[in-house]
Amino acid sequence: MHCALKFCSYWKNKTRQPYRFFCLFFLFGITGCSGLEPVAAWERGYLAEDAMQWQSSTREAKFKGHVYTSKEASSGGNGAAGGGCGCN
Amino acid sequence: MLKLTTHPVKTFGAFLLGVVFAVGAHSGPTTKQDAILAPAFSLPAIANAEGVISLASYKGAVTYLDFWASWCGPCRLSLPALDEIYQELAPMGLKVTAISVDVVEEDAWDFLARYPVTYPVAIDTEGSVAKAYAVNGMPSGYLIDREGRVRTVHVGFKRGDEDALRAEILQLLEE
Amino acid sequence: MAVISNGQNSVQSASTIKQSPLVRTLGAAVAALPAYQSTYADAPPEFTEVGLRYSHYSEDSLSEDKFIAGARGRYDIDVTQLWIEAPVGSSWSIAVDVQNDSMSGASPWFVGTQVDGQPGVIMSGASIYDNRVEVGATTRYFWADGNAGFNVTHSKEDDYEALALAFDVAWNSDDNSRTWSASASTSNDTVEPVTGNIPVFIDREDIDTASVYFGVSQILSRTAILRIGLGYTISEGYLSDPYKLFDERPDKHKRTALSGGYRKFFPEAQGALQIDYRYYADDWGTDSHTAEVAWHQNFDRFSVTPYLRYYSQREADFFSVIADLENEFYADDFRLSSYGALTAGLRSTVQIGDWQFEGQLERYESDNDWGLYDGDAAPALVDFWRATIGISWRFD
Repeated sequence: MHCALKFCSYWKNKTRQPYRFFCLFFLFGITGCSGLEPVAAWERGYLAEDAMQWQSSTREAKFKGHVYTSKEASSGGNGAAGGGCGCN
Repeated sequence: MLKLTTHPVKTFGAFLLGVVFAVGAHSGPTTKQDAILAPAFSLPAIANAEGVISLASYKGAVTYLDFWASWCGPCRLSLPALDEIYQELAPMGLKVTAISVDVVEEDAWDFLARYPVTYPVAIDTEGSVAKAYAVNGMPSGYLIDREGRVRTVHVGFKRGDEDALRAEILQLLEE
Repeated sequence: MAVISNGQNSVQSASTIKQSPLVRTLGAAVAALPAYQSTYADAPPEFTEVGLRYSHYSEDSLSEDKFIAGARGRYDIDVTQLWIEAPVGSSWSIAVDVQNDSMSGASPWFVGTQVDGQPGVIMSGASIYDNRVEVGATTRYFWADGNAGFNVTHSKEDDYEALALAFDVAWNSDDNSRTWSASASTSNDTVEPVTGNIPVFIDREDIDTASVYFGVSQILSRTAILRIGLGYTISEGYLSDPYKLFDERPDKHKRTALSGGYRKFFPEAQGALQIDYRYYADDWGTDSHTAEVAWHQNFDRFSVTPYLRYYSQREADFFSVIADLENEFYADDFRLSSYGALTAGLRSTVQIGDWQFEGQLERYESDNDWGLYDGDAAPALVDFWRATIGISWRFD
């Protein structure tokens, strides 16, 4: 955090506000300057829990995506789209 | 980049950094003069040993330290694979200790009930020994020679890794 | 508990570990080794898994006050999913998925006006029956700090055929606390409507779809992880619904989805809070918000996860309750109308040795009044129940 702020403050006088925001966003996203304490390899037990996964199961995610995509106007948000179906 | 010096501690860092660029998840053996001394430790035993397990008791023996956790997927392969190597090479003097980094000891017991092993298992609930060894993946194995120097670090485990590990251990046993 | 020394000096207490020269030097240098992560990005599955899932999906019949003619019973679908996923060699995995959908029921044909002046639905006459078979194969390669997968999926039913190819890649940052992911896919679909009890006016049409996605997930702490993703999809071809009497849509559809997710584990409670959000917008004038909240509770050998999902969309530019044939594009499809929808569900898994059992039940209801956006109510909005049971087995 500190690292990104310091770097981006260099732009202060030269650059307009939106660019500075972009600079911060870019640094948070791309560099390691996020200010987060790294979680050591042996401390990742909770992160490995089933409860912490993005999908409860691959097949459930597929099924759910299929149902909602065919009954609602929206799609996406979970990787690239697959093939369609003639679902009415 | 990292400056290479002859200082043993820095060299260990450089050696580990080199692992990053190695294909696969383990490094090749370092030469004797490059290797640094393994940090000593004493931890409570939870299987196949009584009381406390300390590195000092393995003085003069080729030793493999394996950091693992019940929640680590590849450990379901590495612990049994290591047990096969242990059963084969223990008569030649190989010492093996698996160090669980589980926060809850019962989780480690459950795992060992499903994947039983014959070598001593210790537990490091605070992760302080893992920290001293700069463990950076699960599992992480440290192969230590008769002089107590870390000669190889294995991070992660895939099917087939046991063959390379067995060869490295044999090499150290013959030194 | 632990007693450490750096090997060269005498034994030190655990509190002095931070000062160990080994650790200080290693701190920066070792950070780049592959770590075991919750994302499993760097290791193939340890064991082979085979699984079978059966789901029943059942839409409520159209209510009497919104119905004009045809059959009131709407879709019932039986879905069977069968899969096998196995490690191949030391760095590859392969998965084969087979899915069968058996559909029966009637669907809305068009919207007209009832004697009281309210809009009502004319349903397709008798029950339609269709069967869809989907077969997909995925190969995945794993290296020290990432993996890449390639998928081919073929889907075939009486009147629709699709062939999709997808490529995805995920890689971990040097300190293994961040995972980048990207994917791209294309699909070639063919519509060949069959004339049953309602007339169709096309013979054979194509749809081409291309899609890209970019996402990043970041470990925030020992118990929290966050992700964001951006996806873009473009379809070209025959995008109207051939089984609706009044349905004329543009032949291009560009869609953008911005999504985010958060997981927080509570060790004392042995459970995790799961929050997901998606914003969607397309060039047909539709945009939507989707929010999902779940609590995953661990017990000794099983888990229970109650969840809620809220969804609200804005109607497409060319939607009207009763299709306006004066316009270039028109549709009375309820799926293009403004509404809000709520899903409530419960999911449970039981782990016994190498076997896992799962069960899930959910209820979906939609209503124009629950929406965040203005727009008239489509009479054919759907409500449904869904139940799933599944079993999977892992072996060496």
